[in-house]
Amino acid sequence: MISIRQSAGYLIVAAIAAGTLSDRPQTRNPVNLGGYRVLAADFHVHTFPLSASTLAPWDLIFEARRQGLDAMAITGHNQTLAGRVGEWFARHTDGPIVLVGEEIHAPQYHMIAVGIRNTISWRLGAASAIDEVHRQGGVAIAAHPVEQFWPAFDADALRKLDATEVLQPAAYSSETARLQLEEFYNRRRFTAIGSSDYHGPGPLGLCRTYVFAREASAEGIVDALRDGRTVVFNGNRAYGDPALIPVARENRRLIEPAAETSGRAFGAVLSRVCGVLGLLLLICSGFPD
Amino acid sequence: MSRLALFPDAWVMLAPGSAYPPLTQTAARGGWWLMLRRPLLVACVLGCAMSLMTSGRVTLRLAVPATIYWSFVPLFEIAALAAVGTIKRGGFSRTVDLFFMSHAPWSLGLVGYAAMWAFVPAVHIFTWTTSVWYLPGLAVAAWSGYIDFCFYRSVIGSSLFQAIRGLLLQRLICWTGVAAVFLASAGWQVVAARLGL
Repeated sequence: MISIRQSAGYLIVAAIAAGTLSDRPQTRNPVNLGGYRVLAADFHVHTFPLSASTLAPWDLIFEARRQGLDAMAITGHNQTLAGRVGEWFARHTDGPIVLVGEEIHAPQYHMIAVGIRNTISWRLGAASAIDEVHRQGGVAIAAHPVEQFWPAFDADALRKLDATEVLQPAAYSSETARLQLEEFYNRRRFTAIGSSDYHGPGPLGLCRTYVFAREASAEGIVDALRDGRTVVFNGNRAYGDPALIPVARENRRLIEPAAETSGRAFGAVLSRVCGVLGLLLLICSGFPD
Repeated sequence: MSRLALFPDAWVMLAPGSAYPPLTQTAARGGWWLMLRRPLLVACVLGCAMSLMTSGRVTLRLAVPATIYWSFVPLFEIAALAAVGTIKRGGFSRTVDLFFMSHAPWSLGLVGYAAMWAFVPAVHIFTWTTSVWYLPGLAVAAWSGYIDFCFYRSVIGSSLFQAIRGLLLQRLICWTGVAAVFLASAGWQVVAARLGL
């Protein structure tokens, strides 16, 4: 008769086998629309350690490929070390384009700096922080700018700000938050950004930005963000460059990112069912004394 | 002795007050393995949970590295246990082993949390109110705290005051270290801004 501990072991082995075999990166052919290379990007990604996230930069490089992302910005809280590690790793593993970034986590505002090299102090005011981002050749994005952060963005900061997260998980948490993100975005023609604000739970690239770049490179992405060449989809809603939205709508892959094939989806379901059951049994049965 | 004695972890989880005294009398052998087996289980649960939360499956690609770097959590727990000077007769290995029997509420809570992210679409989960997270978290903390209190009373033989002090001190040392590794760079800003540094 199989003991409870043996059952737990078999279930976990089955979970690992099904999960590992069904774990493959998405094969994505390059998307070219309107004379641009369209890149799927997530510009707000945290890593372990130091930034309240669960996975290390090198693990997220492979996870980004599985989620069909062409680019991402690794944005440590008040540090750029994680971004530099991720960029180095991606360069040596044929990974997606990784931009060095930082979430400037200040008391009055949170701001994503993308395409920078050195850490920017959270002690700077919003306008001064944006100046520093620009001095380093980067782009400044307001992170989840719900109402509580609006006072930090005075007229000077709003004039200098490049982009804003119009879609991120906060938009799903309440209709009020979604409308506040939209209202901030509509203050002037900011570049529209969709970001997952990845901290571990939930998929990387849940919210994503389609960047219309002249070239598939970090420089090409930063140029596109400066010029406002992005489109973000939230169901039937679309934000971004009015000229590019209809172009993007023509490509169904941008509106509905490719789902996993049925075989891989089955493997994932099998893995999570066996994994959860196996772990629960293993924790309760523990070790014999 | 309870039939639960066949499953000491479950026994400690459900009835720590009656489980720890007989377990303390058992002379378990194993040296390093005795000390490492339950902390390793905690690290493996953490690694598998991280994989489930992000990819909806247990894949070696994520579970193995996450197990390795998340092993800092049980390591901090052991270090805090040593720092508090919690050693029972029978040696540190057995003390660690008995201490980690109390980890089941945290592990079950973590697997439940990971299962939720694995089975429910993320866009639905984000619509749930934050109290959905706080209430189970507080319940697990209280449950685990009670088991650890029984550990200090029954295994270490502490007085009521010593047990509370040992529990709080071990938690303070361990949780401060874990928080520092997990969220130091934003956490420092929050602390510095509050204190005007």
